[in-house]
Formats: sequence, structure tokens, C-alpha cells
Amino acid sequence: MTVRSSTQQHKPLPNCSAACPVHTDTRGYAEAVSEGDYERALELLLQANPFPSVCGRICHHPCEKECRRKEVDAPVNLRMLKRFVVENTKDYRRERRRRIEPFRGKKVAIIGSGPAGLTAAHDLALLGYHTVVFEQDSRLGGMLAHAIPRYRLPLHALNEDIDDILALGVEAKTGCRVGRDISLEEIRESHDAVVVAIGLSESVTLPIPGSTSEGVLPGITFLWDVANGHPPPLGERVLIIGGGNVAVDAARTARRLGVSRVFLACLESREEMPAWQWEIQEAQEEGIEILNSWGPKAILSRKGKVAGLELKHCTRVFDEKGRFNPQYDEARTMTLDVDQIVMTIGQRADLSCFNERELAMERGRLMCDPHTLSTSEPGVFACGEVMTGPGSAIQAIANGHQAARAVHHYLQTGERLVLPREEISHLGPLPQRVASLARPMPRKDAALSDPQERTRNFSEIESPFNEQQALEEARRCLACAMGAQLESSQACAGCLTCARVCPFGVATVERTAAMPAEECLACGLCAAECPAAGVALKRFGTNQMKKTLREMLASTHASHILRPFVIAYCCLYETTGRQYLQPQSREEIESSGILRVMVPCVGRLSSLDLVEPFELGADCVAVIACKEGACLYPGSEELLQRRVAHAQKFLEEIGLKWASLQYHRTQENAEASWPAIWKEVRRQIAPESGKEAFK
Amino acid sequence: MIVADQKPLHEVKEFVETHQKILVAGCGTCVTVCLSGGAAEARLLASGLRIAFQRAHHPKTIEDDTVLRQCDEEFVLPLLEKVKGEGFDAVITLACGVGVNFLADRLEAIPVFPGVNTTFYGAVMEPGLWAEMCSGCGECITHLTGGICPIARCSKRLFNGPCGGSEKGRCEVDPLNTPCVWQLIYDRMKELGRLHELRNIIPAKNWRPALDGGVRHTVRERIYRLEYKNR
Repeated sequence: MTVRSSTQQHKPLPNCSAACPVHTDTRGYAEAVSEGDYERALELLLQANPFPSVCGRICHHPCEKECRRKEVDAPVNLRMLKRFVVENTKDYRRERRRRIEPFRGKKVAIIGSGPAGLTAAHDLALLGYHTVVFEQDSRLGGMLAHAIPRYRLPLHALNEDIDDILALGVEAKTGCRVGRDISLEEIRESHDAVVVAIGLSESVTLPIPGSTSEGVLPGITFLWDVANGHPPPLGERVLIIGGGNVAVDAARTARRLGVSRVFLACLESREEMPAWQWEIQEAQEEGIEILNSWGPKAILSRKGKVAGLELKHCTRVFDEKGRFNPQYDEARTMTLDVDQIVMTIGQRADLSCFNERELAMERGRLMCDPHTLSTSEPGVFACGEVMTGPGSAIQAIANGHQAARAVHHYLQTGERLVLPREEISHLGPLPQRVASLARPMPRKDAALSDPQERTRNFSEIESPFNEQQALEEARRCLACAMGAQLESSQACAGCLTCARVCPFGVATVERTAAMPAEECLACGLCAAECPAAGVALKRFGTNQMKKTLREMLASTHASHILRPFVIAYCCLYETTGRQYLQPQSREEIESSGILRVMVPCVGRLSSLDLVEPFELGADCVAVIACKEGACLYPGSEELLQRRVAHAQKFLEEIGLKWASLQYHRTQENAEASWPAIWKEVRRQIAPESGKEAFK
Repeated sequence: MIVADQKPLHEVKEFVETHQKILVAGCGTCVTVCLSGGAAEARLLASGLRIAFQRAHHPKTIEDDTVLRQCDEEFVLPLLEKVKGEGFDAVITLACGVGVNFLADRLEAIPVFPGVNTTFYGAVMEPGLWAEMCSGCGECITHLTGGICPIARCSKRLFNGPCGGSEKGRCEVDPLNTPCVWQLIYDRMKELGRLHELRNIIPAKNWRPALDGGVRHTVRERIYRLEYKNR
């Protein structure tokens, strides 16, 4: 029996999360990085994806393609932020591991240990199943371990993810080939469900003259052998046939094996090539010669060995309906002398591990239903590329999650689950009129090693972000839909103040105020100025500042705090490291007499936020804004300065010194200038003794 | 709308020196719009007073609450219940004078103090600037003056201006901020093609509908003391 669960509906996601096949909370981890909370960022990553180390390296990052920052300048470098997080939380990640004792009394077998299979294993282990992974190779990871070249994905990065998954209690049987060492039938006898996640591990070859010559190498076999330390002997000139990512990987791999001329011939024009554009560009930098719009006609051989390739000009790859239907100009040909040819024109599943009695197949493909991930046999499911066809790692991971859901449902109910059709709504593009008012901040790209250098070996070519780069890149995130919203329409007097101070023309008033989430850039100025105190901010709301400060001071003893006691509101965007972003210890607050409150733009502090600290015993409030002209939000500096002046006057009426509320600006960066500013703040508030004046 | 300015904090502080539990009551309408007495200002004043008394070693309980309008029974009731029910012994209201009276009438022995000075009926000339436009005189004469009020906007409230203090279109009392309203009236009437009407003398006004006639009331018969509501 099959049940159909209702269509899942979500409230609009930020475009980045909506575009991610596993809907990673991209905005959330960018925010966590900007706040120096790399551990929270890792938790968010792992919530959606057990392969953050892999994806930090090789994900094709559909999130970035949809990032709304592109309307302002360029997308946030989200993949590199992800990589930064995993590179900087290794100890934490090891410590957070926990073994899940299987508690459901049921056993699931996963055949294949690529990203789809291991994701399914991960999820099922978390759900309490005894999960066993069967892998024919000695190493887990599937294509990630064997086909993706090490210069893109070093083994240690892959192992970080795999070790995490195994730590849950997933059992791995490596070197165990189904169909040879154990049959599917035997597996089914000892397991309650099976997930077939064998991927597409065989290269398709072209039936052209000469294709059986010595020196014609199937692409996947070639990459597999190189990854496992058995590179085939290559000549001076190697040609890759194909225009996809595997072709580019093969070409760049050949280059690293010392081949002086590497050609890549494909039917597609440069723009049509299915490989990622950045991969093509990097390949060209490495000297790969790309022959666009050429198709193979015949492999030329000498004494049974490859001697060259005859190519014919491809005039069209796709027909009017967009279907693959190449047309050639047979009269226009050329011949290239080459020593080896690597075929990377497509892949197929190696189904020789099953026989037709065990599992239904059709024209060399596994029969399976993409809506239920089921196969012809009850309790046998399929996921990953064997189910979906060729795709990206993150798509395979998404499919692995679905497989785990399907298996769980089956094991709990005995029924097949029709996977709900996801209807993801997103925020849509940032309106141009808003984008044009946002301050451009150049994107930070990953540094790649010099092409001459990097082709000498298989070392990773990309350097990770350092902390400063990561913090700077993270604060480029527009925090889409994390801005202002009216707490209740009753509070709003329709006074227009929000509309009058909004630097982006987003806030409007029609009876009551409206700040459309898809437009607001979360500067917080309207919330700070609202005379009804009726605007809430989803990120770092300031309406509860007193409570926040109380919590921060909860562990301290007022009498132990060094006087004068300064509450310093600091612009968190000025930090270049975690030093000031991490929570302060009780001892630090007490001995320094300074409580740091890190604010994502101090411009959002209301007059009340500037005054309330005195209720909690502060002798002085210092507002440390960003460098002059550095604020992300136009108008924020001016409004803040006026607010500070207003609050100073107010405090003076109470009988406090003018210096009780001080406004300072960061010079250079936080670490370079804040200690001096704090010293100056203390000097100004307690000129007589510098220490005990306010006790 | 009604415009009000906050009283100096020390003045407000003096009002409540002898009280222990004080409620600062904001008003969510006119004084919110003119940024002098809404929820944000009520919280700020409450905080300021707490700090001031704390520093004077006389800490007091000072809370704040804001209602939509302090000039309507239905909105004010919860506030009254709070004051009486929770034992407040004084109220500072940031509403206009209407709110002060309205609360005071209903709080019997609990004193109500004004936190703002009610200034005028005005409009926003530009963000952050309010100007007087109406005096609430009870019998509008602006049909004679092109829609521009010489009572509210002339320093001398002249009905047949301008006076000799009109210089280059500005009022001698405050040339920088105040245009001569009679210059404005002249220009406006010219625009309207009614300049000749200014040859007519505007007669003395009946001031009885203004304050001169005693306390004013307005009754709207169609909803006033509905019988079925009082059955």
C-alpha cells in the first residue's frame, strides 16, 4: 500500500536556502560566522548535511547563484564560509560526536557508500536503526573517494565527514562486493530494508571506429586508478572526450601526471559546456586546450594502439526542443595526434551486482520509482545517481535524506511513502531600487595556487579563508528577511518615522507601518527611532536590551566589578578575529570593568538602550561605532550620533556627567583600537583616580 | 494633531519626589506621532527616573504603560485598573493635557502629573518640525482668508493684516522661522483670483465658541446615550 503525504509548504525561505537541495540554513551560518560562533555555524551545517567538509570544497553552490547580494555586487562566498567553519571547528566536531545505540530493533543495509548512501545511513542511524553499509572498495566515499581528484577534495576532508557518520554507529563492510561476496538475497534475509545507492560507476564508451584500441581509457576508471595510486602510463599528448565536470577533472588530472599537451574535445560550445564555468576556467589556466564544437569521428590507431583522433565539426548539440540531438558538418574534420584518449561522455550504473531475479531492470537500468524511491522488491529502495541520473554531490545527499525517510516510513508502517512534493517559496530578487542604495562590498574569492605550481602535483589548490576574510565575507550577507517587523498593528500610530528614517526606502505607512521582509536590509534604524517602540528586529532586537544585559551580568558580583564599570556597545562588524566576539567570562568582566555587547551595527541602539545600562550599575556607556564611512547602512552614523547627543542631554538632566555616555569610532580594526578606546573611556569618566571614583 | 513637548526631567522628578510607586503612562496617538509621549518615551522617562532616584539613594518603583488613547474610557480602563490594582501612588502621563484631566478625573486620590507641555494643534512641516496651524477657536473663518488661519499663524492674531512688522514676507517676531501669514494670505488669494475680497474688512469675531463662552462640549445625538445601551 502506498500513502501520499500532503504537499509540504514552507514560509518563504531566503533564496540561498531555497536553492540548496538540502535547504541548509545558509543565512543562519553566515550570521553565526559573523558573530564568531563557528560552533553554532557547524551545528546548522550538520543539521542539513552530513558532508559539510566535502561540500565546503566541491559543492557547486547553487545557494550562491541565487544569493540576493548579487543585485548589489556579487553573491556572498557561501561555500568558502562553509569551508572556513569546518576547518575551524575540528576539535569541537570530534567532541560532539555521539554514538546512537540502535533502539528500533531493525536493521537496514545500504549498498554503496557514496554521498547518497552514507547520508541515508547517517539519517537511519540517527533514527535508531542498525545500519550497515556494504562497499566493494577498501575505502568509503564512492565517487568522492575515487573519482573526484584530490586537488579538489583531499582525502582528509572526506574522512572528516565519513568519520562523523561512522561515529554514530554505522557499520561499514568495506571490500565486500554485493553479487560476489554476498548476494542481495542474503542481505535481504538478514536486514529489514535495503537501500541501493551504487551510483553510476562505469563510463559509457563511444562505439566509433578504433574505440577498442589500446590507450582508450574509460574516464571513471582513469580517475579511480589515479586516485588509488595506480596511474596508467601516459604519453605526451592526451585527449579527453566530453564537456562535463568529469571530463574537466580527467583533463586536469592528466596534466598533473606530467602530460605536456592535454586536449579536451566536446560537442558543445564554450557556453553550452555542462561543466561548471569556474572549473573550465581553472582548467584553461592550467594549460588544458579546449576544442569546442568538435565530435569524435574515429580513433586512429597504429598496431592496435591509439595514434590520434579524427574529429568532425558539430554544428548543433540540441534541437529546437532542447533535446540532445547533435548535428555534424561531416565535411569539416580535423585530426589530432594523441597517445591516449579518455572517454568521459557519460556514466552508467554497474548493475552486475544484482541478477534479474533479485531486482527488476530495464534496458540496463534499475527499475525504480522516483516518487517513492522504491524498486520492484518491497523493502528495497534506491537513491543517489542510480535513481536520479547524473547529478551533483549535494543532490545525492538530498536524495539520501529522502531515502532514509522512505525507509523509516516503510519500517514503521509497512507502507510505501510517496515523497511529498516540495513547494519551496523564496523571497525573490532584491528589488533594484533597494539594491542600488545598499553599500557595495567586494566579494572575497578563494585564493588558488599558481597554475604552474599546482599542476605539479595533486595538492589542494585552494587556500581556505583566514579568520579575517571569513568575518568580512560573512558580514556581506544581507540577512534577508531578518530585519524589521511591526510587533502589532495596534502599537503603530502611523507616525511615518520609520518611513522617514529608512535609508533604503523600504518602510512605508498605510494606516500602519509595513517593512516588507523581502526588501528590508535589517539595519534596525526604524526600530531604534519608533516612538511607539513597536518595531521588532528578528536579528539582534534591541527592545529587550535590559534583559540581555542582565543575563550577561548574571554570573558577576556587582561589588567585584572594577570601577568605573563600562558597558561598551561595539560594532561587531569591525572585528577581525574571535577575540572580542566570544562571550566574556565572569572573571574577565569583573577584572576589566568592561562588559562588551557586540551589536551588528550600533546604529540600531535606541535612546533607551543607551540609558538603561545605568540602571544596572554601569558608570559609563561607551558606543564604539565602525570606522568613519565604513557603516553598511547609509544614514546610520548620523542618526546614531544624534541619538547619543539626545541621550547625553537626558542623562545630564538626571545628574550624570556628560562623559557618562561616550561615542567613539574604531580605528583600523577592533583588535587594534578597542583596548585604547576602553582605556580612554575609563580615563574620561574617572579623571581623578581612574579607578575608584564611582565605587 | 495635538503637539506637545516633554517637560524637563528635573521638573517631573520633583512632582513625584514623595511618592513610592509611580506609573509613567504613554499615549499612543498624537504625542506618539510628535515623538514626545509614546511608548518609547514612556520607557525612557521611567528608566531615567529610576536612575535619578537610585542615584539619590531613594530608589522607587517606576513602571511604564502606554495605551492607544488616553482620551477614551475604553482605552484608559486597563490603565486605571493597573494603577489602582497594583498600588501605584502617582501617575505621570505623557499624554496631552486632555489625558492628564481624563486620568485625574478617574483616579480620585491618586495624583496625576503632566510629563509634557501641550503646545498647539499643528502639522509636520518637514520631518522633525511641527508648526501651529489651528487654535481651536470654535468658529472657523478661513473661508475668508484662502484657507490660511490668521488666528493661529499671525503673531498678533490680526484679522485684517498685515501689520507694520511684516518685512519681506516674514514676521518681525521671529523672522527666521515664521512667515508673515498676511503675506501668505495675500499670495494665496491672488492665486485664487480673489484678491479683491481682501478689500472687505473682516468683522470682529464671535469668541464665544472659543474659550470665552465657558467650557465647551459637543454632543453627537446619533450615538449619545443610546437607550438600549442603558436599559
